Amino acid sequence: MKQALENKRLKEDLSKKILNNFKKNKFNFTDLDLLIDTSLLTERSGEQFKKFTLTYKDLFGKEISLRPDLTVSTALKYIQEKKNKEEKYCYYGSAYRLDKGGDLKVFDQIGCEIINSNNNKSENILINSILEPLKKIKKLQVVLGDVGLFKILVESLELPARWKLRLVKNFSRREYFEDMLKRLETNYDLDQQAIKLDTKRLKDLEKLDPNSIIGGRTVSEIVKRFNKKIKDPRDNYKGKKNVKIIKDFLNINSSIQKAESTILSFFSKNKLSNLSIKNYLRKIHRINKEIGKKYSINFKTNFGRNTDYYTGVVFLVSVKKNSKIIELARGGEYNGLLRTLGYSKDVPAIGGAINLNELINL
Amino acid sequence: MSKIKIGLPSKGRLKDESLAFLKSKNLEVVNFFGERNYFFNIKNNKEIDGIFLHAREIIERINDGTLDIGISGLDLLKELPEVYSENVKIFKKLNFGFADLVVAIPKDWLDVQNMADLEEVSFEFREKYGRRMRVATKYPNLTESFFLSKGVSQFRVVPSLGATESYPFTGSSELITDITSTGSTLQANNLRIINDGIILKSSACIFVSKKIKKNNFLNLIRR
Repeated sequence: MKQALENKRLKEDLSKKILNNFKKNKFNFTDLDLLIDTSLLTERSGEQFKKFTLTYKDLFGKEISLRPDLTVSTALKYIQEKKNKEEKYCYYGSAYRLDKGGDLKVFDQIGCEIINSNNNKSENILINSILEPLKKIKKLQVVLGDVGLFKILVESLELPARWKLRLVKNFSRREYFEDMLKRLETNYDLDQQAIKLDTKRLKDLEKLDPNSIIGGRTVSEIVKRFNKKIKDPRDNYKGKKNVKIIKDFLNINSSIQKAESTILSFFSKNKLSNLSIKNYLRKIHRINKEIGKKYSINFKTNFGRNTDYYTGVVFLVSVKKNSKIIELARGGEYNGLLRTLGYSKDVPAIGGAINLNELINL
Repeated sequence: MSKIKIGLPSKGRLKDESLAFLKSKNLEVVNFFGERNYFFNIKNNKEIDGIFLHAREIIERINDGTLDIGISGLDLLKELPEVYSENVKIFKKLNFGFADLVVAIPKDWLDVQNMADLEEVSFEFREKYGRRMRVATKYPNLTESFFLSKGVSQFRVVPSLGATESYPFTGSSELITDITSTGSTLQANNLRIINDGIILKSSACIFVSKKIKKNNFLNLIRR
């Protein structure tokens, strides 16, 4: 009991100092809602999300969850307050998640978010703001990744459109992703016999009103996808070669100083179009220029895949203690999250949070 | 010694076939208190106290220790959280009550042959309509784990209590998962099973409580 009170006091003291730092960087403190409409979470992340959230039904049968994540809560705040310009938020609070055994885990966090900013230095401002309170910790390690790079890699591969979509959409689901690579290697996903039979039935379908609905989809939508699918390259798209490129790409691990050149030479070595990658790498270039000298930063292409709402730069700050890696902070860009939560369009957004539970133990 | 408590399905083909199975083992079910009474006994056997229950209820009652033995469907056990399988053990799979839990789509979705297609269509659906595809089912847990194992993550489960086959045509869902033995009801409702869309092959089973001790009744039905 005494220890718990001491920890609470420590967290409060630390949070005051860190919040002051955030405020100096023009972040405005916000109180986040503790409860979230569960349907917003399931609509965005799918049914599996419910397993990790403490959810109950109110008297009207509506499902409500304890906030599992403070970034989602901040994004919801932005939407609820009907904002349409740049907002810089900071917060202090807890996130609540159930572990695999169903026990409730509480994560005390202090963080900041920049939503809807046109400033191309937003990443630097945000990452700097998170690193600043931690800079005195010895042997601090920063891992940087960019999940958007994978999308560019996939776009440059010679692959059917359906495979490109699958690879990108399932990038955050590691186990299934590995399974998909195996399928891609063997080109297994189409049944030639069934296609022959369905081509015969297509003629009947084409006689129907193209706008009529069958199971929530229009006839024209079904016909269009069927025709596209049978014309998509099937047997000659070098599955094995592409899988090797993907695996090699995901093994890239270099210092931030060498990240840009390593990625560019990877693209040219594999004869991939490097037009869009050159432009995209400017972001990494800026981070390297401003933050790369102050901290030890490693760049990994395979990093940041576990959170499905990240769309670009991702980072993790850690320290080694008794040969154990202690995660102190993490964050990333989430340019698509607000739209999936109900905002009218995609907006640039980046955020990060410091893990107070670990920080007080250092 | 306390009596062994068994549960049998209270209606339908599963009830008839369970009674026939017991009879084939010389265990005849008798209702001393009349046809409408839920309690029964086994002729010339004083070890047993029986009750007719809904097939789902049988598993629940074995799980909470009210029943020692019961006949029910494998699908019903598998749908429940894993902790049930720790308390409710499969003693024997029976030769009746065969049915598959399957993924069924409107038959005119010609572009969808397999789960990989469904994965792609679900992404397109989300982009186009700004919401997830809905899957109507009486088996939300099995459906969810199967869809996720096949890479389909952009869906939402719509719980159904019956007539699930009608859902895609009333605007209540886009597709369904349901239990079927011949597929004829699905076909009659303009639905088609996806090629690799078999979630579970089910049959009737004898379930026992994990706390049950060896007894004569189990020896009789084992053979």
